[in-house]
Amino acid sequence: MKLKKDEVVWLLIFISPAICLFFLFFILPILFLFVTSFTNWDGIGAEFVGLENYSKLLNKKSFIRAITNNLYWCVTAALITVPLALIVALLLAHRSRGWKVFRTVLFIPQVVSSAAIAMLWAAMFNAEYGLVNFLLEIIGFSDFEKYNWLGNVRTANAALIGFSLCYVGYFMVIMLAKTAGISDDYYDAANIDGATQFQKDVYITAPLIKSTFFLCIILAVIFNLRQFEYVYLMTAGGPANKTQVLVVYIWNELSVQRLGRGNAAGVIMICIGAALLLILRKLLKSETYN
Amino acid sequence: MIKSILKFFSVTFISISLTIISTVASAEITINWPSIWVGKDSKTTVIRELVDEFNAANAGAIKVVIEEQTDYDIYAQKLTAQISTGDLPDVFTVGADLLDILHRSGKAMDLAPHVGSDSHWNNVYPENALQSNMMGGQLTALPYELFVTPVTYNKKLLKAAGYDEFPATYDEFFKMCEAVTATGKVCTSQMTGKNAWTSMLWFSQVVASAGGPGVYERGLDDPAWVQAFEVMEKMYMYTTSDAIGADAGVSGGHFLNERTAVFMNGPWFIARYTSDGIPGLHANIGVAPAPMLTGGKGAPGGYVGGRQSSLAAGKQSDPAKEEAVVKFLKWLTTPENVARLSYSSGAMFIVKADLPSDMDRLFIEMNEQKGNAPYVAPTFSNGIASLPISKEFPQALSALAIGDVTPEGAVEMLKDAE
Repeated sequence: MKLKKDEVVWLLIFISPAICLFFLFFILPILFLFVTSFTNWDGIGAEFVGLENYSKLLNKKSFIRAITNNLYWCVTAALITVPLALIVALLLAHRSRGWKVFRTVLFIPQVVSSAAIAMLWAAMFNAEYGLVNFLLEIIGFSDFEKYNWLGNVRTANAALIGFSLCYVGYFMVIMLAKTAGISDDYYDAANIDGATQFQKDVYITAPLIKSTFFLCIILAVIFNLRQFEYVYLMTAGGPANKTQVLVVYIWNELSVQRLGRGNAAGVIMICIGAALLLILRKLLKSETYN
Repeated sequence: MIKSILKFFSVTFISISLTIISTVASAEITINWPSIWVGKDSKTTVIRELVDEFNAANAGAIKVVIEEQTDYDIYAQKLTAQISTGDLPDVFTVGADLLDILHRSGKAMDLAPHVGSDSHWNNVYPENALQSNMMGGQLTALPYELFVTPVTYNKKLLKAAGYDEFPATYDEFFKMCEAVTATGKVCTSQMTGKNAWTSMLWFSQVVASAGGPGVYERGLDDPAWVQAFEVMEKMYMYTTSDAIGADAGVSGGHFLNERTAVFMNGPWFIARYTSDGIPGLHANIGVAPAPMLTGGKGAPGGYVGGRQSSLAAGKQSDPAKEEAVVKFLKWLTTPENVARLSYSSGAMFIVKADLPSDMDRLFIEMNEQKGNAPYVAPTFSNGIASLPISKEFPQALSALAIGDVTPEGAVEMLKDAE
């Protein structure tokens, strides 16, 4: 459709506030981030240092560890959290007795402060008085007496990533909402053909919410790429930087006044995010139904 | 018509009254103070009393509002950001590690003219105390709280392990830890969470014992650093299972509940032995200088300590507000008020104050030992004078404790942080 000249003018007038705000609060800070990443800015003074910040970052084991941990979070979310949410959504889509209670319970972590959840989990994992060790001992795993889940290299990341399960409710609600829009005609036809509930879930519901499933994967990857509060509050990237993630790493750089290097890490993080989204777009070419 | 006229006058009257009230109210100067001396801190009660008394004495003219900062680490990070952005609070406390950047920022109030124009601070501070905080002719912070960090130990638990005296060397210390462990108790409280405060204090003691008080001038290549990490590695064999990742609350909590026998923190913790410790804990606590490393360059009885917090203020454009801030800082530094703070909390201050004769036994012992100490070496975080290295310390320590790196590797992690 070709727009008339006066329509174009009005269009520009109406979208200009949004564009201005987007430029002011998004584009401009990114440009600032990019420019200062080539300096040794410490909050007071700055000198141009070229690519020094980037080369130092890429030679740091703890920074590379932060990138790999972030990818680990993203992959776990995409391969465990979202598929788990899909399974729960398919089960709840049957609208069996008590499904609303179950849906609410799973969604509760989304309305509770993440700081509160992090502190709760840290207390549960505590080596001296934590609930996890207590329960394991009750069921006979005496080896776990005073086991420090968050302080052990082998289990710290796994214990942290248990948090991914908190997001199950969020993605489940999104996919559940999509199932509500599926026409009953599909299920009626399947019933006539004698399809079982499992067959209806797998061959009708799941394919029809595929686009939403892919959307959830993208959202999960974005959420986990900017993971901060759980890691910061529960381990602060420790022990030995083994649970370090990018945003905590950036925060640490900023807190020691190495703002230029922190901003360089921020630029790298943006590049990784953009690359991940491009890859996901290629991989998850979604289909919708009419 | 009459109703409308009445309505008009009523509204006009109310509006004028509100304007007058708000104008009068706005004449009061508000001073914001993000204070860390709140919550569980031992200085909370007296600081609150001092602020209330100041506000009452200056009612209608000045009002100090405390913004509660319950987490020291978060406060330090917030203050660092505020120094960078220039958005400093009206009044605040600042650690020794941020003094340099605070001065360079040029955003803090220069207190030197006020020191010169009034005899108050020259009278209450010891000679040269203010000069030592001067940078480029400016005084951006008033030195305030001092600290020393001797070993505090539970005499009852040590006696049960067969020890009446605290060991003088680390060899004896670890033998004592074996004996404490045999009694079913844990020897030391350690932590690697946040800034690893209490373990950092231990580390400072060991570094000074290994390399002497001048170890920081020789840099991280000095063998004392490796020796100190070797001792810390052993120390983590005799600590609680939650030490990796624990914060100061957990580390202190174990000692307060008699789960651990030995602990290290500043004198401000004295009041908490009574307020938060199990009944009778305070009476069982002994104070001693840290053990010596055999063959080290330190001297027996050497202490670690220094300046904890300085008082500072954000630069003001309104001279009246600047005067109000200075008035409040003077209030906080009167010898009487400092004595009250010290008496209630056990904390030490640089201001000359006549302390009551019935000061806490532990405070008196710490003061005596400090007086007899051959030196008072700085803490690691103050002595190393590098924010990135201080920040990396908890990670290096946890890497060492879990066996991920050797003592040499831990030193390399510190070097790499710079």
